[in-house]
Amino acid sequence: MHFHQILLFIIHKISGQRSENAPYYLLKGKKSGQTIQDVTYFQLHAFFSILPQLSKEDYDEAINELFKNEFIRVNESLVYITEKGIEILPSDKEPLFNGWKYRGKEQLFWKRIDLVIQTLSQFQANEKKFVPNQKDISIQHFVKDFLIQNNFREFNLNTDIKQEIFYLLENPSFDDLHRTLFVYRLSGYKTTGLTWEQLARHYHMTDLNIKIIFLECLHSMLDNISIETSPRLFNLAKDIRIDTPLTESAFKTNSLFEKGYSIEEIAKIRKLKINTIEDHVIEIVSNNKNFSISAFISKEQIEEILHLSNELETKKLTLIKQRLPEISFFQVRLALTKGEKNS
Amino acid sequence: MNKLKLNEILQKKFGHENFRDGQQEIIEQIIAGKDVVAILPTGMGKSLLYQLPAYLMEGTVIIVSPLLSLMQDQVEQLKLLGEKRVIAINSFLPFQEREMAFRHLADFKFIFTSPEMLQNEQFNRALRELSIAYVVADEAHCISQWGFDFRPDYLRISGWIHSLKAVNVLALTATATSEVVKDIKGTLRMTKPFEYIHSLDRPAIAYEIVEVENQQEKMNWILGRVISTEGPGIIYTQSRKKTEVYATMLREQGISVAYYHAKMEQSDRILIQQQFQQGQLDWICATNAFGMGIHKDNIRQIIHDHIPTSVAGYMQEVGRAARDGNQAIASLLYTSSDVEQTFYVAMQDFPEEQDIHFAYQEEYSEVEQAETTSRILAYWKEQLNEQQTIQLFKQIKQKKWQDIQSFYLMIRNDSCLREQLLHYFDQALIERPHHCCSKCKLNVSSILRKRTDEKYRQDEMNWIDRLNILLPS
Ligand SMILES: [Zn+2]
Repeated sequence: MHFHQILLFIIHKISGQRSENAPYYLLKGKKSGQTIQDVTYFQLHAFFSILPQLSKEDYDEAINELFKNEFIRVNESLVYITEKGIEILPSDKEPLFNGWKYRGKEQLFWKRIDLVIQTLSQFQANEKKFVPNQKDISIQHFVKDFLIQNNFREFNLNTDIKQEIFYLLENPSFDDLHRTLFVYRLSGYKTTGLTWEQLARHYHMTDLNIKIIFLECLHSMLDNISIETSPRLFNLAKDIRIDTPLTESAFKTNSLFEKGYSIEEIAKIRKLKINTIEDHVIEIVSNNKNFSISAFISKEQIEEILHLSNELETKKLTLIKQRLPEISFFQVRLALTKGEKNS
Repeated sequence: MNKLKLNEILQKKFGHENFRDGQQEIIEQIIAGKDVVAILPTGMGKSLLYQLPAYLMEGTVIIVSPLLSLMQDQVEQLKLLGEKRVIAINSFLPFQEREMAFRHLADFKFIFTSPEMLQNEQFNRALRELSIAYVVADEAHCISQWGFDFRPDYLRISGWIHSLKAVNVLALTATATSEVVKDIKGTLRMTKPFEYIHSLDRPAIAYEIVEVENQQEKMNWILGRVISTEGPGIIYTQSRKKTEVYATMLREQGISVAYYHAKMEQSDRILIQQQFQQGQLDWICATNAFGMGIHKDNIRQIIHDHIPTSVAGYMQEVGRAARDGNQAIASLLYTSSDVEQTFYVAMQDFPEEQDIHFAYQEEYSEVEQAETTSRILAYWKEQLNEQQTIQLFKQIKQKKWQDIQSFYLMIRNDSCLREQLLHYFDQALIERPHHCCSKCKLNVSSILRKRTDEKYRQDEMNWIDRLNILLPS
């Protein structure tokens, strides 16, 4: 997927419901209640936090281009996808990202595998002294332990890893571009990987798009690594997945809920605003559908809100709130989050 | 000290048959417990000086190095020699690793660290428990405010050395005027140190100065030179944009070339370095960010498209050529208006009187300054009052201007450039090499080989083949 396609894909989902900046916060992985609840509302888990380095300038430029090409339009500070935009949406391609699950940790996996391949390649050529591409001490230690545990001096490890990589790259969702980028970023004996710029030039693409496709490759590989089919790489992917994808602050709030405190009490204890704690509740519900919300909203209220949202064909809080004045914004958000989670 | 023993270690640990000029003398002085100041050009085996004595002495060697990128490289080089008891303790070391290291300092034979880190109380407590063989002040010219890359934090090493019980110090640098040497000795509290000053001359490097009319002519000259003669080479320029422009221009002519500057991602910078070292690239177009920690013996050409901001910096960049001792050439292109441009570049991060005034205000926030500037100001704020600091910076600025002017003069007058460069460091030329400089008459075509390479083409990419090359079956 290219950057423009990603933007259109997201805008298609939030069309008429959010501003043109919402995708930016989503891609950057902003940890605000709004962004996190949008992930669940609009089923945008794939894209959360995939481009933490994205600059606002680059983003605005891309949005302007979509605007100029009439793929999107903006009305009363809401962004809409146009007919023309829907037409060029990639129909056959699903995004291969899983930003919600990896949150940048895929880079850790990449650094490990990069250093493993470099080391194995050098050792196989009997060149035991070389300068590692990865300078991070903790990566070096991890890889050293991995190699020792896997008896790397025996040839088996090379063969196994190569086969596992082949297997993962042959994944039919990949294009040859995914495969090529992954392999050509790697280095080994007398073979140095290529820079983003060198790859971008070869393919006449932007650096950003090259990095996006590379990321897609990493996420998809990680999704498909299992202890049965790729036992060696499975060990390299240790601790990459985020099991509790809560922000640290929401995690603390969650522990207090577990101890039976109310929203108000938690706000007092943590010296935070009620709003913030409510954001945390949304985040917790997004992640855990078993979290009981009966203290905040009744079953009937949830149904009423979901029914209205369906009828009005909107997830805009203000529209729903106008029709149900006795219900709070927080309750509307809660119902929508819960509704999405159960659907 | 037993000479046999020294030679044995030289062979066994370092794989060399013989010492180079001065190395043995310096090493003997260190082992004898003397303070030493050693000035020798890059590529003359500087690291051996602090590495070898360690194997003949009890305790740990502490190497203080102000350049983090260099530190990483030095650690890697020691590891390549098979030394495992080596660590770099700096702000990049993850917290847990750092804690671990503090508890086991004595397990290390070589500890590299930065001047900033020496302020860390926990580190210092651990160091005081340690038996220290000697302290090395690397890139010692950074201690001097007159040096071309002054690091104010480095000055704090003075108090730190004082806090240690009688410890010997080895100061190493590749460039120092007598003024700078004086500063080094004072700051490091050296008593009657043994001084070793190697000639900074690199006879295998010929100097070529070319005056052109304008920027376009520079481009044409570079293009002509690179197309017709052989590298490998580095083209130094002052702006990041220009590194990219040059690289594109040369690539269009079928040259295997890449650009390099500090704004690139670290992973990409490492890859470019490796590609150049392994001969997959012939030319690099770079800002002065490139070159530290490059281990490539056969660089044949260094081209500057500008007047560098200091003689010392120029010598360092040029000194990356001809490490293998074979003939190389350093070419400098300039126009008559370049001297102003260079002064402008040199003053870019230099605090103005107003900046200094602000720095002395109560509600001053360091964010408003470039990082190096704010560090320098933060240091002087503790030492001097506002007026004194303003005066000091006026002096430094003036000195900078004089330096650039005198470099410009060296380039333009009729005297031998080699002699003048050495003279700048208070050294005399001992023997004029056959290929000296363009002012002593230079036959460039007899130095450079004609380029025979076929045009460089990027091969088709095939991921299966590539994976099989990385991990052959
Ligand atoms: Zn000369």
